[in-house]
Amino acid sequence: MSGKEVKTLENIQIGDNIGPQPLFLAKDSVRAYCNAAGLAGVPRFTDDELARKEGLPGMITPGNMSAALIGKLVTDWAQPANGRLVRIGTTYRSPVLPEHNLSLQGFVTQVDHSEHTAEVDIWIENEDGDRLVTATATVKFEPKA
Amino acid sequence: MALDYDPSIIGKVFEETDPVAVSAQEIKDFCAAVGETNPWYTDEAAARKGPYGEVVAPPMFALTFRNGRHFFQNIPHFGKGGFDAGRDVEFVKPVRAGDQITLVSHVKEIYEKTGRSGAMYFVTVRSTVKNQNKEVVAHIDHRFMGRL
Repeated sequence: MSGKEVKTLENIQIGDNIGPQPLFLAKDSVRAYCNAAGLAGVPRFTDDELARKEGLPGMITPGNMSAALIGKLVTDWAQPANGRLVRIGTTYRSPVLPEHNLSLQGFVTQVDHSEHTAEVDIWIENEDGDRLVTATATVKFEPKA
Repeated sequence: MALDYDPSIIGKVFEETDPVAVSAQEIKDFCAAVGETNPWYTDEAAARKGPYGEVVAPPMFALTFRNGRHFFQNIPHFGKGGFDAGRDVEFVKPVRAGDQITLVSHVKEIYEKTGRSGAMYFVTVRSTVKNQNKEVVAHIDHRFMGRL
């Protein structure tokens, strides 16, 4: 399965790919997220020079933005099969730098037909294959109305 | 060196925020910022056929509600520089435009661990997110770490 869309829980199998989806975060996109998420006043997310004064290589992507993009990949994948995100656990392993060629991807790790749930692993990876942010999530599939 | 903190802070609510109103525009801005096109969050007609029956905020919108930082005062080493290590979120109910959101936060756990890069400490702050009806919307565990 391409992992682009799932139509029903019955179609989902352990090992199914989710993504990969290319991810390029322009600095202005990160600033737009900061404006939308109440982080506009945090220089490490919005200003290269001020971020460098904190010892960072430049402005970085807020962890919550990375988490939101990971969550979106899961909900994009699950929505066609009426799947709701009910739990997610994210780990920020390394800073996500804007203006790099990243990818969002993952796969299904568990399917429980009696509980109508699937577990997935998702991560953001950089050009070198390093996993910068990792996550596990649980999706609950409801019968379609 | 052991982490210097008062163990009695664990489990005690250190902050209950004033209610924050969620506007439809804020949800739209969030959707735009993450490229959200899922009809459950953006399209009234399609959302009516979905599990929520109306447009709701994407689940990860819950992370835009900021937890308090007052616990720093009680964890001196944390104030010397810690890292945001991640979030664990349990989504209970959707957030809707017009909701009045409150966060009640406590330190859930503090522990130390020695890994390849040396001794580290970990702090988890749990925020319970509630709406104006006192319904729990989400439980968010904010995880932080620092070097000892």
